[in-house]
Formats: sequence, structure tokens, C-alpha cells
Amino acid sequence: MPDPGLGMAETSQPEPIAAGGERLLVCLDPSPFSIPLIRATKRIADAQRAKWYALYVETPAHDRLPRENQEQVAQALYLAAKLGAQAVKVSGFRIGDEILAFARENGVSKIFVGKPYARRWRRFLGTSLVDHLIWNCGPIDVFVISGEGEEAAPAPAPGPKRRRLLKEYLLAAGGVSLCTGLGFFLFPYLALTNLAMIYLLTVVIISSFLARGPAISSSFFSVAAFAFFFVPEYFSFAVANTEYAITLLVMLLVSILVSGLTARVRHQARVAREQERQTAALFEMSQNLTAINSLEELLQVASEQLSRIFQSRVAILMPRTEEELKSRAGYPFVDEDVREGMVAKWAFKHGHLAGAGTGTLSAVKSIYLPLIASQHAIGVLRLEPLQPGRVLDADSLRLLEALGSQVGLAIEHENLSRQAQGVQLQMEAERMRNTLLSSVSHDLRTPLTVIAGSASTLLEGEETLDRFTKHELAQSIFEEARRLDRLVHNLLEMSRLQSGEAMFHKEWYVLEEVIGSALAQLDPQLHDHPVSINLPTDLPLVQIDALLLERVVINLLENSMKYTPPGTPLEISARVEDQELLVAVADRGPGLPPGEEERIFEKFYQVAPGSARGAGLGLTICRSIIEAHGGRIRAANRPEGGAVFSFTIPLGEGAPLLDRPLQETAEKN
Amino acid sequence: MNPVILLIEDDPQIRRFLRASLVTQGYDLIEAGTGREGLALAASRVPDVVLLDLGLPDMEGIEVIKQLRGWSGVPIIVLSARGQERDKVANLDAGADDYLTKPFGVGELLARMRVALRKMVPAEESRQEGQYCLGNIKVDVERRRVWRGQEEVRLTPIEYKLLTVLLKNRGKVVTHRQLLKEVWGPSYIEQNPYLRIFILNLRRKLEDDPTRPQYLLTEPGVGYRLRDE
Repeated sequence: MPDPGLGMAETSQPEPIAAGGERLLVCLDPSPFSIPLIRATKRIADAQRAKWYALYVETPAHDRLPRENQEQVAQALYLAAKLGAQAVKVSGFRIGDEILAFARENGVSKIFVGKPYARRWRRFLGTSLVDHLIWNCGPIDVFVISGEGEEAAPAPAPGPKRRRLLKEYLLAAGGVSLCTGLGFFLFPYLALTNLAMIYLLTVVIISSFLARGPAISSSFFSVAAFAFFFVPEYFSFAVANTEYAITLLVMLLVSILVSGLTARVRHQARVAREQERQTAALFEMSQNLTAINSLEELLQVASEQLSRIFQSRVAILMPRTEEELKSRAGYPFVDEDVREGMVAKWAFKHGHLAGAGTGTLSAVKSIYLPLIASQHAIGVLRLEPLQPGRVLDADSLRLLEALGSQVGLAIEHENLSRQAQGVQLQMEAERMRNTLLSSVSHDLRTPLTVIAGSASTLLEGEETLDRFTKHELAQSIFEEARRLDRLVHNLLEMSRLQSGEAMFHKEWYVLEEVIGSALAQLDPQLHDHPVSINLPTDLPLVQIDALLLERVVINLLENSMKYTPPGTPLEISARVEDQELLVAVADRGPGLPPGEEERIFEKFYQVAPGSARGAGLGLTICRSIIEAHGGRIRAANRPEGGAVFSFTIPLGEGAPLLDRPLQETAEKN
Repeated sequence: MNPVILLIEDDPQIRRFLRASLVTQGYDLIEAGTGREGLALAASRVPDVVLLDLGLPDMEGIEVIKQLRGWSGVPIIVLSARGQERDKVANLDAGADDYLTKPFGVGELLARMRVALRKMVPAEESRQEGQYCLGNIKVDVERRRVWRGQEEVRLTPIEYKLLTVLLKNRGKVVTHRQLLKEVWGPSYIEQNPYLRIFILNLRRKLEDDPTRPQYLLTEPGVGYRLRDE
């Protein structure tokens, strides 16, 4: 083992050591000792403020481990990730080489391994993992942490697995017997070496279907059978010629090698399939979670997809109060076992996977995975396999964790974007309030100034003013008061419409009457503008809130009067177009600034700020009202000069007919 | 003897300006600041017209109307704010005679009061016989004939009935409900669209410019009013 102090100095290779400091690597194995090993490494990493990795090399042997050990691996990786390590699982055949390759790739300076990993028989052969690491580590330091309470050999495989293996051994033996029978048949025609080839073919076929143990045993069987039946001395293991001995030896080596290679290929294929499944699941989840608009939808989509992937009932629980978790989406579990809820709470509180098959609080039926966002749990994922008694294997648990962290991140993202939206809305409202206040206070003050001024002039000059001036002053007080009234009315209407409190009382109305009533209300102001009205006599009735629509017409007319010189005509017209009633208010004024046709409907917008009176609310109100009626409002310049404002009202079904009213029935009364 | 006006209104400024304009017009004004006070004065002083504000501190305006109508037929004119069309209709259906929307000019108020006071003259039957003139419109009640200028206008029976109901209440607002009930009967009081169609037809026959009617006025959200003079 190199001197730790010199290890770094001696390095001649340009080893990519991170500028941030040391990088530690802890190697995990399928034993409970991995947990104290991780904690020890964590302490050292913290002390040195080092970045650290936890690595597990998954060999073909991993599949043969009892599920208990497989889960220990999953838990160890989970714990390491929890404690701040980058937890990595790679697959390979030679643990030592994989560890060193990973260490070099990531610029690791210290490797921590547990002592009890190497099995005794391997130690005798001098090829323990620790030895391998020490001899091949180059500039990297290797630390061996001793495990308290040496671990016993892995427990024997559980029943079903053993039975399956037994079956495979029998199959292997059967295959070799078959081959031997064929050999007897072909023996008179073939040379001994070609017969050996047939045995090799059998071994290849067997090992491509069966596990490694039966495959290797099949090579032994076939060599034995070959030696016994076909190599002279016949029907004896004695070998007559040394050349035959070499043939047998080569055959044995080749068949063992072939069966090993085949097993590797199968293992790699399995790992690739598994990884593909995981990648596909993760990709699909992230795809689905991006196209989400609300938290509810997100939880719904996530739980549905998890339930599909794991063939389980899935629910997502989120805290309602400090103490209580409430199901927000997914399967509505009804529990008789109070422990389920307790485990859920435990998982939430400790941010740790728990429940069936996880090794933590596993007496319950479901698995509980905390959903982590910004370092703390925001919810718990509950998962219960559809098939009773089934528990997830270690790989599925890892996949579940990966998907769970994706869901956690998505929830956090959703929460953040909602917060951001809230802030945005608040800012908008704030800006709006300020604009409203300044705009309204200006608009209120102007008429108030006129009223106060005229009234005080009247008071002061009671003796001196002539009758005409007095009348003028009184007249302007009256008109300004009316203006003030309209402004206040618009403000109230606006806030009513905006707050959504406005109740629409839609009835069938005759447009002519609505326009007439609007004109009557504006009568005193209209003397400067001749109004021509062009309505077809057969316009159908429309379903509208007449008071609101009247407001639209008043506001449009007022707007036109405000921006056009006195004496210019106004024109109101209407016609039916595509199942809609189209109403237009046109003027002969200067028209709209090009490009502003849409902006004028925005709140507080004025074509020339400060020049004309009115808070710029009139057109905004028009738009709100028209849109509430399902119509559209737009402004445009007329080709022959002036502006035209037009709006549409959809023609509803079932309008009372103009030409066939109630007359007949009424006559009878 | 001057007509006696009871003003039930809590705002002192409004009372001050009404007092100034009504007294100079030759009315006797009594004032009440609350609904209870108003009801007491209505009983003790027996006014000719009641002007009732809707925003009283102690009770709802409609409550005052209902109590007053329990024992008195005195004309009631309601003073209300804009945007309360539903309330106006409810008040009129509860027995108020007319309404004014704040802010209003004194001219409008005096016109409403003249109409209300005319109701006091018990001459309705005699009027049924004679002829009405409204601008260039002439109605001969006895012979059921209507002229616009020199030209005779042919009205359907319903249109004629509608016109006579408005004539009977001329100068005064008539709610949709009242019109439907009087012209078509009680089972038609929800048929506002039909009423509108008849009014439209009537305007087209009587008015010079039906879109800017001079006689058959619309009271938005409430009903119709036939111009008085």
C-alpha cells in the first residue's frame, strides 16, 4: 500500500484532481457493513470538505445474491445519496478494475473499502479485492475500514430459486446425455475430434439458455461423458494415449470459457434491458410532467404513470397540517391497519424510504417513498403492488426512487412557478392601483375644480356679475357634475366587472331601443355632433344585458366626441353578418394612430396622455362587456378618414320573431 | 293653499338644496331625517307628495313604501342612485309612483312632482272621454282613432291598448310588469321581449325618428314613460 502522504506527490500522471479538493470513493458490497462504511466515509468527507462517491459494481453474481443482500445494496446507495454522496451503480465483471476505472475517470484521490468483502478462499489465492486495488491503484490511496462483527457467508438462496437451479442442472445433464446418445449413433462415422466438436456445440447451446452453474457443470459432464464413452479405454475414465488427455483438457478449458462468455453476454443483455426500461420510464415521466398546468394534474399524471410502471396502486400524500398527511391523488386507499399511516408519517418525517420490502418498517403492505424537494420532504408516495404479497426488487426500488425524485422536482418547479406567477400578479395589481389612483385623482379633480371655481365666482360676484355670466357659470357647474357622475359610474362598473361580481341579466332586446336609450342619456352633450343612425328595420332581437350594452354605446359615443372636432358627424350602423350582429360607431375625426388599434382597449390608455379627459377606462369597459357577451370589439381607421369602432354580438337561438309577435294569443285576452 | 311635500332624506346638503328650490317654487316643505320620523310625519301632516331617499340610516326604503302604502295613497317619488335598476323596479312594484336618479336637476324633479300632484285631481273619467294631444300626435279616446300630424295612424288593438295605458299614466314611469299586466293580463308579466317588439312598432308608427323617440321614452332597466308635455 503506498504511503498516503506520498501518494499524491509521487503522481506523475496528470491525474484530474478537482480544484475544489479531494474526492473520495466508497466501494459498497452487498452486506450490511456497507452502512457503517458509508457513515465513516461521510465523516471523513465532511472533515475534509471533499466531494464523495459511493460506488457499487454490479456483477453477474449480483443476480444470484439473495434478495435480502440485493436490498442492502439498494439501501446503501440510497443512504449514500441521502448523505450527500453521488451514488453510482455500474455493471461489470471485475469489481477491482471497475472501481479503479471509475476512480480515475472522476479524479478520486482516496478509495475506501470494507475489510470483510473478500471471501476466504479467494484470499488464499491472493486475489482479494483489497489486494487487487492496492497493487493497481497507482497514485490513489486505498483505505481499508475494518468491519465489526464479520459477516457470515451469504445466506442460501431461497426455496423457489433453488428449485429452479435444480431444474437447470437436470436440463444440462439431460442435454449432455442426449448428445452422448447421438455420439453413439455417429461414432462409427466420425473421427474423435469431430465428436468432441459436437460436445462443444452442446455446451454452447446449454450455456446460452441456462445459468452459469449448470452451464459450467455441463462442460464437466460432457468432458466426463466423452472421456468415459468415446476415448479409449472405452467405458473407463482411464486414458490410453497422452494425446487424448490433451484433447480432453483443451475441450474442458474451451467449454468452460465458452459457457462463461455466454453467461457474460446474457448478463450484459439483461443489464442493458433493465437500463433501457429505466431510461424509458424516466424519459416518459419527464415528458409527461413537463406538459402540466396545475399541481393537481401533475400529481394525477405522476400517480397514474407510476401505477402503470410498477403494476401497483399508487397514491400521493401531502401534508395538510403539521401532523396529518392527506391523499392528494391516485388510488383512494382505505386502511384497516393503522400502521400504514404511521409508516407514511415516518417516511415523510425522516425523508427515508420505508415499508414493505425496504428493510425499514417493512411490516406493512405498501412502500412509502418520500418526495424530496429543496432538501426536505414535501410529500410521500405510497405504492402497493396489485399482486398481494409481491415486493419490489432492488432494481425496481432504485427506479422508483429515481422517478420519485423526478416527481419531487416537478412539484417543486410547479410550486415555484406558481409563486412567481403570484408575485407577478401582485406587481401588476400594484402598478394598476397606482395608475388608477393618479389617473382617477386627476380626472376627479378637473371637474371638481371647475365646480368649486364657478360656484365661488357666483358667491363672490353676486352683485357684480351680469345675468349671462351667472347662467354660464351655473351651466358649467351642472355639466361638470354630470361628467363627474359618468366617471364615477364607469369606475364602479369597472370594478364590478373586474371583480367578477357583475351579474348579467340577459334578455331579448331590440337593438334600436338600446341605442335610442343611450342617445337619450347623452342628449345634452350631443348638440355639437350630428348623429346619423342607419339600422335595418328587420334586425333580429339579441340576448343582452341592455344596461351594460347601453354603457358600451355611451362610452363609444363619448369617446368619439372626445377625440373629434365639434361639428363633425357621428354615424351608428348595424347589420347581420355570419350569425352575428355587427354594430359600428364611426366618426370623421383624425383617426387612430396606426398600430394603436388594439392598445386603446387597454386600461388607462390614452391616445395622447393628459390631453383629453377621462381615465381611459371607457373602452376597456366596452371590451369587458362585449367579451362577456361572447362578442368581439375592434377599432380601425376608415379609408375615407376617421375612426370606426365596431363590436359583434352573437345571435342566439330561439329569438322571438319580430314579425310574428304575441298578437294572436294576446287578442284572446 | 300650497301643496305639502314631505322630504325623507338623511343628507343635510341634499335637504338644503331641495329646500331652496322647492320653497322658491311655492311648495310647503316638511323634512324628516329617518324613515320612522318620515312615517310619523306622513301620518300627522298628510303631505300631498312624498320624496323618499333610498339610503336611510334606520330602515330600507322599500320598507317605508310598504308601510306607507298600508294606509295611504299619497304619491311617492323615490330618489335613488344609478346602477340600482332592480331596486327601482322593486320599489315601483311595491307602490312607489316614480323615481329620480341621482344626480338629478331641479327641472326633472319639478316635472315629476307636477305629474304626481296631477294624480290628485280626480278627473280621470272625464279625461277618458276627450282627446289627448302630444306634440303632433292626437288621440281620440272615444272613437279609438290616432293621428300623427294630419295623417291617421292605424294601430292594432294591442298597440292601441298599450298606448292608452301609457296615456293614462303619462309623465309617469310604467314598469314592464305593469304594462304587461294591464295590456296582456297577469299571465304575461314575464314576456318582456314581446312588450319591446310592440313598443318598437308603436314608435315606428308614432315617432318621427324611432331611434331617438320624443314621446315614447325608454327608462333603462325599468320600463317606459310617455312624455307629458
